[in-house]
Amino acid sequence: MQKIPLSFAKSGMILARDVFRGDTPVGMPVCGKGSELTNALITRFEQMDVKSITVEGHPVWEEGDRSLNDYLRELDNRFAKTIQEPHNAVLHCVYKEYLIKAMEGYSGQQPE
Amino acid sequence: MASNQSDLKKSIMDTKTLPTLPNVIHKLNSLSDSDSSSVQEMAKIVSSDQVLSARILRLANSPSYGFHRVSTISNAMILLGVNVVKSLALSSSIIAMMEHDSIGLWEHSLGVGSAANLIAHRLKLPECEEIATAGLLHDIGKVIIKLKCSDVDKEIQLRVTTRQIYSLEAEREVLDTDHAEIGGWLAKSWFLPDKLSEPISFHHDVEKSCNNRVKTAVIHLADVLIKSSGFGDSGDDFVPSLQNIAWDILKLDKQLLDELVYELEDKLIEVKNFSFEMLSN
Repeated sequence: MQKIPLSFAKSGMILARDVFRGDTPVGMPVCGKGSELTNALITRFEQMDVKSITVEGHPVWEEGDRSLNDYLRELDNRFAKTIQEPHNAVLHCVYKEYLIKAMEGYSGQQPE
Repeated sequence: MASNQSDLKKSIMDTKTLPTLPNVIHKLNSLSDSDSSSVQEMAKIVSSDQVLSARILRLANSPSYGFHRVSTISNAMILLGVNVVKSLALSSSIIAMMEHDSIGLWEHSLGVGSAANLIAHRLKLPECEEIATAGLLHDIGKVIIKLKCSDVDKEIQLRVTTRQIYSLEAEREVLDTDHAEIGGWLAKSWFLPDKLSEPISFHHDVEKSCNNRVKTAVIHLADVLIKSSGFGDSGDDFVPSLQNIAWDILKLDKQLLDELVYELEDKLIEVKNFSFEMLSN
């Protein structure tokens, strides 16, 4: 999932987190996670002072953003000392699958 | 070297130069022990310290605790209970010590607090707030090392970077003790209850915890998860061994870890935003 400024939102993106009025969880909830964005919905968010949203995958690439391969390499480095241990091997697998899923659909894409 | 190590250990554990807790916390403890004191009385004591009150409310609304609608101290006392407010007062005072000088450690601690809270809720354990507090405070020993001997802290960092070892190993080489022992010792000298001091002392060695093994196992797992995630900076970049005893006590399996990691990573976005907002204020 990725948190993006509302100005980068495009119809077709899927919300990964609930959206609240005024960008605060104390504000009124305006749209639930899992919803697909439409132009009308984006306009409504603008009117409700929503500044940023969190969407599924990694649709917006900026210079300096790390790719899935970068994330996986860093994960391997963190587990370098303990990957041979059975419980840590399970945990490594859990994180690897999580990262692949979180970046799903965008893994081949590189920063422009 | 041996005498040097013990001199350093002595100077770190010298009670005369230990940081002290705000008076309000001691007053709150004695008031909450007495049957005749009222919630209003306690709220008044806490509210008299404006900085502490602000910190408590900010922390109550942080992802580590996640109470979103607490806006006043008396509100917190009634909604959350005296024990939770005591935990909040304690953690906010201690966190104040690391907030500005050790941003990486502060983020690591916030992350472990949030992970511990999440694990405790998921496993339906009692006293989730106490567990979150233990998570926030588990590396307090590192703050003390840095606060009292910044040269030693630099030497530890140097050994970690040049030899790619765990900071725990470097601490033992330099000090003949480690942050967990120092933290546990500090918790005892502040008269913190066992349910906080044991997870602090034994989060790297769950088996040694006698009375609070489940809480200690939760903090151990929370620490391992946050290190796996690469969130914050606790001194080195390596994931520690996930101990057998913790795996068994918490009845872990791949499916449970899958669910925990998914929820935790979602929560860590909030933690990052919270930390960013706090530091920019």
